[in-house]
Amino acid sequence: MKIVVAIKQVPERDAPLRIAANGRWIEEGDLTYTINEPDAYALEEALQLREKQGAGEVIVVSAGPERVQSTLREALAKGADRAIHIECDDLDSRDTLGVARILAEAIKTESPDLILTGLQSDDLGLGQTGVVLAELLGIPHATIIMQIEPTTGGLKVKRELEDGWFQHVEMPVPALLTIQSGGNKLRYATLMGIKKAKTKELKTVPAAAAAVSPAVSLEHVYLPEKQKKTEMLAGSPQEIAAKIVEKLKFEVRVI
Amino acid sequence: MIAGRLPSTALPHTFPGIALFSSNSDRVFSGSLAEPAAFAPLDSILLAVGILLSAGLFFWRFAPILRTILRSKKDPNYKSSTIGKRVWTFLSEVLCQSKVIRQRPLPGLAHAFVFWGFLAFALVSLNHVALGFGHGFLSTTGVAGRFYFFFAAAWAMLVAISITGLFIRRFFVRPLWLGEKLSYESGVIALLIFLLMVSYLAAFLVQDGGTAARLLWWTHTLTLLIFLPLIPHTKHLHLVLSPVTVFLKKPGFAQIPPLTGDEDFGLVAGKDLTQLTSLQTYSCVECGRCTEHCPAATTGKILNPKEIILGLRTYLNKFGPHSDVPLLTESRIASPDNPPAKYLSMEAAFECTTCGSCEFQCPVGIQHVPVLVGLRRGATNTGAWEDDYGTKLFLALEKNGNALGLSALERDKFIQKQAFPIFDGTQEYCLWLGCMGSYDPKGREIIADFARVMQHLGTSFGVLKKEKCTGDPARRLGNDLVFQNLAETGLKSFEAAKVKKIVTICPHCVRTIATDWREFGIAPEIEHHSEFMARHRDRLPRQNCESIVYHDPCYLGRYRDVYEEPRSVVKQAGTLVEAPRSHERSFCCGAGGGLAFLGEEKGERVSHVRARELAGTGAEVVGTACPFCNTMFRDALPAVSEHPPQLLDIAQLTARALSASQPEANPPPEPGGAQ
Amino acid sequence: MSGVLVVVEQRGGAWNRMSFETVAAGQQLAAKLGLECSAAVLALSAASLLPELSTKKLHKFFAVEHELLAQYTADGYVASLEQLIRSEQPAFVLFPHTYQVRDYAPALATRFQQVLISDVIAFRASGDSGSPIFVRQLMQGKLNADYRQTGPGPCFVSIQAGTFRADTLENGNAPTETFTPQLSADQIRTKPGEPFRESSQTVDLSAASVIVSVGRGIGEQDNLPLVEELAEVLGAELAASRPICDNGWLPMDRQVGSSGQTVSPKLYVAVGISGAIQHLVGMKGSKAVLAINKDENAPIFEIADYGVVGDLFEIVPELTRAVRATKASS
Repeated sequence: MKIVVAIKQVPERDAPLRIAANGRWIEEGDLTYTINEPDAYALEEALQLREKQGAGEVIVVSAGPERVQSTLREALAKGADRAIHIECDDLDSRDTLGVARILAEAIKTESPDLILTGLQSDDLGLGQTGVVLAELLGIPHATIIMQIEPTTGGLKVKRELEDGWFQHVEMPVPALLTIQSGGNKLRYATLMGIKKAKTKELKTVPAAAAAVSPAVSLEHVYLPEKQKKTEMLAGSPQEIAAKIVEKLKFEVRVI
Repeated sequence: MIAGRLPSTALPHTFPGIALFSSNSDRVFSGSLAEPAAFAPLDSILLAVGILLSAGLFFWRFAPILRTILRSKKDPNYKSSTIGKRVWTFLSEVLCQSKVIRQRPLPGLAHAFVFWGFLAFALVSLNHVALGFGHGFLSTTGVAGRFYFFFAAAWAMLVAISITGLFIRRFFVRPLWLGEKLSYESGVIALLIFLLMVSYLAAFLVQDGGTAARLLWWTHTLTLLIFLPLIPHTKHLHLVLSPVTVFLKKPGFAQIPPLTGDEDFGLVAGKDLTQLTSLQTYSCVECGRCTEHCPAATTGKILNPKEIILGLRTYLNKFGPHSDVPLLTESRIASPDNPPAKYLSMEAAFECTTCGSCEFQCPVGIQHVPVLVGLRRGATNTGAWEDDYGTKLFLALEKNGNALGLSALERDKFIQKQAFPIFDGTQEYCLWLGCMGSYDPKGREIIADFARVMQHLGTSFGVLKKEKCTGDPARRLGNDLVFQNLAETGLKSFEAAKVKKIVTICPHCVRTIATDWREFGIAPEIEHHSEFMARHRDRLPRQNCESIVYHDPCYLGRYRDVYEEPRSVVKQAGTLVEAPRSHERSFCCGAGGGLAFLGEEKGERVSHVRARELAGTGAEVVGTACPFCNTMFRDALPAVSEHPPQLLDIAQLTARALSASQPEANPPPEPGGAQ
Repeated sequence: MSGVLVVVEQRGGAWNRMSFETVAAGQQLAAKLGLECSAAVLALSAASLLPELSTKKLHKFFAVEHELLAQYTADGYVASLEQLIRSEQPAFVLFPHTYQVRDYAPALATRFQQVLISDVIAFRASGDSGSPIFVRQLMQGKLNADYRQTGPGPCFVSIQAGTFRADTLENGNAPTETFTPQLSADQIRTKPGEPFRESSQTVDLSAASVIVSVGRGIGEQDNLPLVEELAEVLGAELAASRPICDNGWLPMDRQVGSSGQTVSPKLYVAVGISGAIQHLVGMKGSKAVLAINKDENAPIFEIADYGVVGDLFEIVPELTRAVRATKASS
């Protein structure tokens, strides 16, 4: 099976969040970047599928400026066979549809059997690129997938529903799946992997379509008013209990 | 003129056996070694044939071993110690048998006698053989010769007694560490040695030139000729190899060599074993000193350092030094005829805490720690090691830069709360927090207390704005990719901040920065807080509260040879009590080798064994000098003792004394450690 | 093009409760912008669902019915809603941010050359009378962001659970209209199976949304029922720090920490746990942490959202009582 994994490079989780001067994004100067963790699970799923089948190809694709190449190389070090870098320096002026369009153009030429993405990105968290990509390519899709089983007709996947319910879905290939995090154990990058990655192909292609005016735009980012502070509750046991119940009901929303 | 001695030429040349029954009236102690009468050419030819046969058999067996060793991988980084150090080590460990005796005094001394006896016998044996060709060079009448023969006789008695004692120990007392299987070859060798000595001594009691003398001479000769070819067939090969092994030992303790080139991932297969390592595996005498002190082996785990080394030897014998067959087996099924399947397994390799007890006391110079870490490298660098906790650790180090997987913002919060100055190049010291000092609540207490001590002393210090792990757990678990990234990042950050001197509370950080980082650059000088405080102890307050049992951390004691400095600090705070196993014999807390981050242990918990030992001294306080030891004992002490002793780092002991003399400071920390 | 259309969700003939919150959101948005608010549901037959919504103030309630909508499929829902939207031309289409919506709404938006503004936590009218601002969270909740539609066409928005309260729904009348989409079987490319639950012997704490965890502060094994009751009344899984499991008071698979499970529930209640690092690394991902410990310096308070310094033997029974009372009354 030929599997394409679309990955995104995002700022590291502990990145210091300083709002940029124009208020539209964070300061990028000091940031270190890494692979979007949900995409790491998608990559792991692809690698395991290839290992189980004993054959096939795993290709990683990412759109962005030159720095995304380091994340692509990490993916190659973990075991992907080839990488495609869609060179695009104006990602922030594109919306989800705009990004999905350039991904679709690059992936179309590969004619994969399966496309995997993570559920959502650690930075924007819109959680839609995969589904939009499937729609643009005209292929069936399913989301929040825990397990993939190739069948004679195509695939049988296990989809997670809310509240501990699951569902199997059957579909033909080619198809697109967004993968739930935590389903597999991620592998660590090994020295051997890094050395091998140096000889694997990393192809750079230009973004197929220029940015058109987006349908939605991110106007403004800011820090939320309430920072995490420990709220100490005091009083008699009954008073404390009552306060806790209120918090649990309206702030945490578990009651 | 010695009584009873007949001129040798007067005797007829008779075949030895015939004269046996002739009466020999002069069975008087001649006062010297009786030698047979001159040898017939036939005797000499027999002797020559015997020697050729014996030597031939010896080389027939020894040559393949030598070839295996020489055909092993040449180590491009091999550098032995300076010649002075090597000679000293040789004198001490080989000639004086220092390691053999120190850890097992009585049997060690017995072995030393046997060894020294062999040395003393050197000339005697040469003379003995030369005699067979009619060219004995030691005169039984001359002063020098007679003195030498008596000298050798004294040794022969010592050797005979010693070898008997060792035989009894091995076959009747049966100590655990010599293994469960009785070693028959050892019995045979012991008998041969005994025979050699007895046949020598008996020659003092018989008539010179007589048939008994001749019989004894041939007995002694045959024993020698049988002994020689047996050497390469048994562990007595150490007679030939171990002096060389000790002499060629690589410098440094538990030193992990750099990888060489793009194809080197550690000890994956036979072709990765270097010549020195091969030599070391063939030198193993199976004494079991390594296993006896191994925290894993003594708490019911599979890991057995002796069996690792012997397993490698078996591998080399079976597959040779150019083989691609993996060294580690996955199999955990023990098989009596295939011990390596159990012992040379991935599971065993990852039970090692890298405490170094094995390497420290090996009397033949085997360096176990680089072998164990090499095996782990072979598994981790190739991705063969699939362990949930290990993976979690490596991912945490990659993503968060610390072993605990916590956000770096937590460290920032701690620094702000403590109002530590940030290092800006003007302060004398950079205080390195380390992962435990940055994120672990107990580690943080130790750092805070040490900072107070430094402030009291007026020492200027600052902390780095950002710290990533030194990479110690990655290094010991064999992940060179993560380690290299962390080491290079660390070196750059020290350089950028213009750090000249570093002080820290964690011996693992000290070791890794001072030694392991050398592979990638030179770090500023670094010392452990015990060394710092010991130097300034005159300006630190004294208290004499309680009895404190000090636990030597592996990475401070055996690794860095720092034993007295922390003790001097402890003595300022109370009465020092020693644990039964202390100094270089200190028993590991169980956290090293990355094991603090791995999952559940099999068998008994190493930390519990040591905690029991420490609590058993009856001391009121357990003094530690390593935040990992501290963390292990925090859970272990309450688990093994109804009224566990207090657990305090030496920095906390000192700061407590500071508080006592300055009443407004913080109250002492909580005892034990409520979870 | 006008009006707000709220797509409400059902499964197997029962409402997804979040839907009511979304209807409330729709009513509020409509009121703010001076628009009408309608709702739509997709099902084989909406008959059993009607009674509850028909008493709410809605311009219209569309029952989108077709036999191919008996089970949820992305293709079926996208095609049907596309037709409804082209027919009714709402300015805004609101969804509850559920797993199901995440599966089809982005594809639906794409059909209109739009992008779904997902997981919204608030909205406000923009000063310059352009399209309203929708607020959502970035960087795992560390930043807020204002989004706005900048092109023509319907604006698709999904609302985060708990943002609006269902009890603020305005009552009134909702005339029903049936809408039958054009669907053919070959349009539906996926074949969904029946939902099922996993039966597992081991406790999977990582799936729990509320966890009550007990530490050494509990003292003795005989005191455990205290905490077990609290867990039961909260519908929570019981977990523990390492010493409790080591003593055998609770099975090892309930251990949370570096040598146990790593959890990230919505609520983690730490009872008598001091917060040693080995425990913290196992639960630092929790969305909210409530800590009860008698030591005010316990490290657990560093990472707790709500802290109670007190005797757990007094606090926990009171809390259990209070929670039980609240649940009974709602």
